[in-house]
Amino acid sequence: MKTDRCREAREALGAYVLGQLPEEERATTEAHLDGCAACRSELESLTPVARMMPLADPERFAAAPLPPPGLANRIATAIRGERRAQRRRRLRLGLALGGATAAVAAAVLAIFVLSGGPSSSAEQRIAFGSLPPGMKIVAALEPRPFGTEIHMYVEGVRSGTLCRVTLRGPKGIRLPAGTFRYRYGADEEAVLSSALDLSRTRAIVVHVGHRAFVAPVGADRRA
Amino acid sequence: MPPGALTDERDVRTAYAAHAGELYGFALRSLGDRGLAEEAVQESFLRAWRAGQRFDPQIGSLRTWLFAIMRNVVIDLGRARAVRPGVAEGGVEPSVEPLEEALLAWQLEEAMRRIGEQHRQILVETYYRGRPYAEVAEELGVPEGTVKSRVYYGLRALRVALEEIGYED
Repeated sequence: MKTDRCREAREALGAYVLGQLPEEERATTEAHLDGCAACRSELESLTPVARMMPLADPERFAAAPLPPPGLANRIATAIRGERRAQRRRRLRLGLALGGATAAVAAAVLAIFVLSGGPSSSAEQRIAFGSLPPGMKIVAALEPRPFGTEIHMYVEGVRSGTLCRVTLRGPKGIRLPAGTFRYRYGADEEAVLSSALDLSRTRAIVVHVGHRAFVAPVGADRRA
Repeated sequence: MPPGALTDERDVRTAYAAHAGELYGFALRSLGDRGLAEEAVQESFLRAWRAGQRFDPQIGSLRTWLFAIMRNVVIDLGRARAVRPGVAEGGVEPSVEPLEEALLAWQLEEAMRRIGEQHRQILVETYYRGRPYAEVAEELGVPEGTVKSRVYYGLRALRVALEEIGYED
């Protein structure tokens, strides 16, 4: 039960637990604690705090140190770099499938994406079917605030071939995503962007030299 | 994937805005070096993002999860530093103990920043500066009993603040 005695004892508990109470008051407090479970339990909750006190450095109480400005951006850059490297590895895996049909390749890629570490859940991997023998095109589309980011990898064409990418939306909308050249031996994806939102994108068109290849995107992919 | 999973850059930015300050404070306290602390924060968020799909807010808070990751990062960085020539002394394997102490110290310092100025001041004067209650009472123009009760309420406030920042007995 809480009494005036308790109040008095409790207000001394801080000094008691920190070892700052004069001898006489300490004895009074201990006598009260012996007979009062509630005050003993209060003491128990303060004891760990008192034990931590000597570890702290009062010079550090004033202000919390702030992380340097720009660290958030550096982390974002590191994440983007790592994601790009992962995507490259996955694109290469897609290419390594060689003679597999596009449907099988897409299925294997889907499984790999599901099991292969973090990737944006909204990222879409596109498989191009009906390509000439020896030629491969792989694309990964990612929604971005500005529209869609497109990662492309082409193989099996003449070095220096100009490639042009366009996204198609509903009602005949076509928004260009940019151009790149295939370079023999440069094992690197091209990163392009289009203002068309990924959610509205129905197809991706890739002109490789004079030939055009189309792959469905989004819901149309399954239709 | 559980809702709240930390899988894209935007999730990481949100988590950074909410928790980077505390994580940096803890890393700096444990590692004692701004460069290393910065490295620790970056590595923690990268690890969190890599494992982001496994984070489930139903199991524990994001903060607790990030601190668990940071703790491992600090251990790894501390070890890496200890094996660098010139830093290790006598080839002693760094124990985990100092990290636990650093965590407790950081928690108490963080709690001190969260309690009222009046309580913090009284604890600094009487405990850290070791000044007699009577002297502090006179300086503040309050009865000695008030100093004593403020010490008690200060410790209680610390206890509450510690629990807020995740301290458990």
